[in-house]
Amino acid sequence: MKRTFSNRFWAALLAAAFLLCAGAALLLWRTPGARTVARITVDGRVVREIDLTAVTAEASFTVQTPGGVNTVTVRPGGICVSEADCPDHVCVKQGWLEGGAVPIVCLPHRLVISLVSGGDGDAPDAVSG
Amino acid sequence: MQTRRLTRDAMLTSVALIIFVIEAQLPPLTSIPGIRMGLANIITVYAVFAVGAADAAVILAARILLGTIFAGSLSTLMYSAAGGCLCLLAMLALKRVLTERQMWAASVIGAAAHNAGQIAVAVAVTGTIGLLAYLPVLLASGMTAGLFTGLCAQALTKRIGGRR
Repeated sequence: MKRTFSNRFWAALLAAAFLLCAGAALLLWRTPGARTVARITVDGRVVREIDLTAVTAEASFTVQTPGGVNTVTVRPGGICVSEADCPDHVCVKQGWLEGGAVPIVCLPHRLVISLVSGGDGDAPDAVSG
Repeated sequence: MQTRRLTRDAMLTSVALIIFVIEAQLPPLTSIPGIRMGLANIITVYAVFAVGAADAAVILAARILLGTIFAGSLSTLMYSAAGGCLCLLAMLALKRVLTERQMWAASVIGAAAHNAGQIAVAVAVTGTIGLLAYLPVLLASGMTAGLFTGLCAQALTKRIGGRR
């Protein structure tokens, strides 16, 4: 006879784990922090950093990756991938990144755009709210 | 008996493959990469409980390889393979403490293990730790999908019988 646990035990355990994940996901997605600098990395190397607070008008530029080309568009406070020649275009569909902690990724091109806090530590993080 | 086993495994693989190919044609549920229903996993869950570890591993490996050829791309193979391996190992381990009426729990935890594997590969491939920020949303959606596929597998087992 193998050791087993009741259905109720598993339901409680997994429901708790689910709520924890869902809560963390919401927090990471929504919470605008002091992250105002967009960091673009290809293959783990930083290729460009843009202070989104310094952007005054919408502008686009291209990023060359070993897998292909992504066109990145910035506007005041936001950044997105507007065009890409990757097979799935998931990066384009992700839309604008504006303050959340969850980065835009283009896995086929190994391109990641994440927001980091400006000043890199020497300035105290602004209290959001 | 060998012929019977071969036939059964081949049939389960083709069913899983058909589900996988059809699912791949559906538009993605969200714009978040990596979020899928994973309906082909119904067969994996069923196989783990009804036909044993070695056969389940063979069915899963064949489905991932053939699925990549028919409906995927080489860049997604690594994610499927890492996720699939972890998912299978988690479910095989859980089978020791789960009854056949608790397959849904194995499926939910297996799905979470799958997502953990995917993210681990994504972090390794892009060299960006920040991708871990995706983990909670992937886990939450994966567990939901895992619950559904687990209940499907459980209903399947009930209909066509368990271990054979």
